Amino acid sequence: MTTVAMKHASHQQRQQEKVYLHPLPVRLWHWLNALGFLLLILTGAQIRYVDLFSLMTFETAVRLHNWVGFAVIANWFLWFVYYLFSERVTNYHPDLDPKAFFQRYFRQAGYYSWGYFQGEERPHKVQPQDKFNPMQKLTYQFVMFISAPVTFLTGLMMWDVQRFEGLIQMVGGLRVVNTVHVLMFILFVMFILVHAYMGFLGAKPSTHFKEMFTGYEEPH
Amino acid sequence: MNTRVTWISLLVAAALLAAAPAALAAAETPSDSDAKCLKCHGKKLKKKLENGETMLLQVSGDEFGQSVHQVIGCTGCHRDVPKGKHPSRRPISSQRDYSLQHNETCSQCHAARHLDYKDSVHANMVAAGNDAAPVCSDCHSSHSIQRRAVYEPVSGEPCSACHQDIYDAYAQSVHGLARSKGNVIREAHIQAPICADCHRSHDVTAVAAIDYLRDTCLECHDVAAVAHEKWLPNASMHMQSVSCAACHSPTADRRVDLQLYDNLKQVPVAQQDGDGQYQARLQAIDTTGDGLDSIELWKLVRQGSRRGEAIDVTLRGRMEVTTGMDAHRLAPRGQAVRSCESCHQGGANGFQNVTVSISTPDGRKQRFEADRKVLNSVVSVDSLGDFYAPGGTRIRALDGLLVLALVGGLAVPIGHIALGKYLRGKNRNQ
Repeated sequence: MTTVAMKHASHQQRQQEKVYLHPLPVRLWHWLNALGFLLLILTGAQIRYVDLFSLMTFETAVRLHNWVGFAVIANWFLWFVYYLFSERVTNYHPDLDPKAFFQRYFRQAGYYSWGYFQGEERPHKVQPQDKFNPMQKLTYQFVMFISAPVTFLTGLMMWDVQRFEGLIQMVGGLRVVNTVHVLMFILFVMFILVHAYMGFLGAKPSTHFKEMFTGYEEPH
Repeated sequence: MNTRVTWISLLVAAALLAAAPAALAAAETPSDSDAKCLKCHGKKLKKKLENGETMLLQVSGDEFGQSVHQVIGCTGCHRDVPKGKHPSRRPISSQRDYSLQHNETCSQCHAARHLDYKDSVHANMVAAGNDAAPVCSDCHSSHSIQRRAVYEPVSGEPCSACHQDIYDAYAQSVHGLARSKGNVIREAHIQAPICADCHRSHDVTAVAAIDYLRDTCLECHDVAAVAHEKWLPNASMHMQSVSCAACHSPTADRRVDLQLYDNLKQVPVAQQDGDGQYQARLQAIDTTGDGLDSIELWKLVRQGSRRGEAIDVTLRGRMEVTTGMDAHRLAPRGQAVRSCESCHQGGANGFQNVTVSISTPDGRKQRFEADRKVLNSVVSVDSLGDFYAPGGTRIRALDGLLVLALVGGLAVPIGHIALGKYLRGKNRNQ
């Protein structure tokens, strides 16, 4: 066996030993979603703050925001359908013992604020069907099942006010719809800042980013 | 279809042009009965009225002979003359009072027109005691009543007699210029509208009445809705919340009018509703006298009650031009406001002037000043739920929340990195 072939075999063996955390559909969804949300935040901010900065015209910002919005909604359904028919859906299952869950939640928070710097073992053992620590789980459940659908729905209402007139009136008018949409936008701005930073908190700053590209868990 | 309309318009115009001089020229010889009247009334007869005015009783035989009423003769309208003693010694209180009495005389033959007139803004003003509001003879004259074609053309008569400033603005508009230049618009012969085409001739409607003016524009510009949908997001909402003139009169000053609207009856709240409670409340609620603020507006919408009935009023916002002259300075299509940024940004011109209005009995609006900040207040989420222009009327409190989120979002990594440095430093020292 040549040296190159040996190296290749050794690499394959290492890959097989690694845990496959993020299947291709999830990785595709994640990066498309990331790109979509950045574009939505950018165009949304342009729509709202024409008087503060001018990257594009208001009209372009609205058109881009609408198109990207539909793409992100379609992408959400990719995520939803994948998990609906996958055994990995357990990642999003709620914990039925809130007391135990929040004990683990605060243990995880303690790890980030102390243990992480002391080189302690991560309190949550990552597995394909239970890959989120309690902090991640609660955040992602909220983002994927509440924030994102609410943002999509309010965005749709504003995209075609006449078509959704009945629904808009039912929830209290256009201003209510817009206010909820903007509140979600504010939440997503904060989420993305924190989420991106947390991405650097692996064994090495690149660890989690590599994982989200290859799908395999990197050594910790 | 346009070609057919153009040909018909040309034929009608030619017929009217031919008829007009004929009508002017063909002064009929007065009948024996009319000749008797003119024997005295052809002279400079005068009558002293109760209010001190002097009324000229002279009638020009030539003018009456050319009028369309020549065929019915003097007694066609002055029916009391052959019945009783004439000249009458009955006192007349004023010229205006005499005109008002004869307004009813017109209705005896022109019942349908008179019914139209009775619902008009003019008749409502007359009923409200406005002495400047026109009655039949103010527009049609008393004795030289002509066919419509005679006094309709470019001059704007009879409307310009009272609305000269508005007529001047119209005359310089795309409509007025087309009218004065032979009805040529974009190299096609299109009949440009004059006053009565938009405002109607007898049932003159207050242009402030909801949707009235937009619908009038769309009667001729029937493709406008489709044309706007091609480029304007939420075109139908824009056409509902922005008056046509707000964009098509590009030099105009704009404002936002918040009209009190009854959601249960689906009509604008009228001045007389609930025994005028809203009018009184609007006047009383602005305690500081500096225009209604967002809390005062909220109180107006949410805390009203009308004889214990369930009420549901809201404020319907609409961007419009500030003056009637501006509303008539309509420019060619290419000069209309096309830039979204003219409204959709903080501090836009149109959002600096805000009024709250209720409908008067004739459909016009009684306006009350409001603080422009009501458009950006978080309190308005409830009271002003249906009027929102992204960017232009954004809620300022949410801007503060966004800044907090940015600071918070950056504080997490910065705080965490700082904590790490501190703990590692502490570990090294130990």
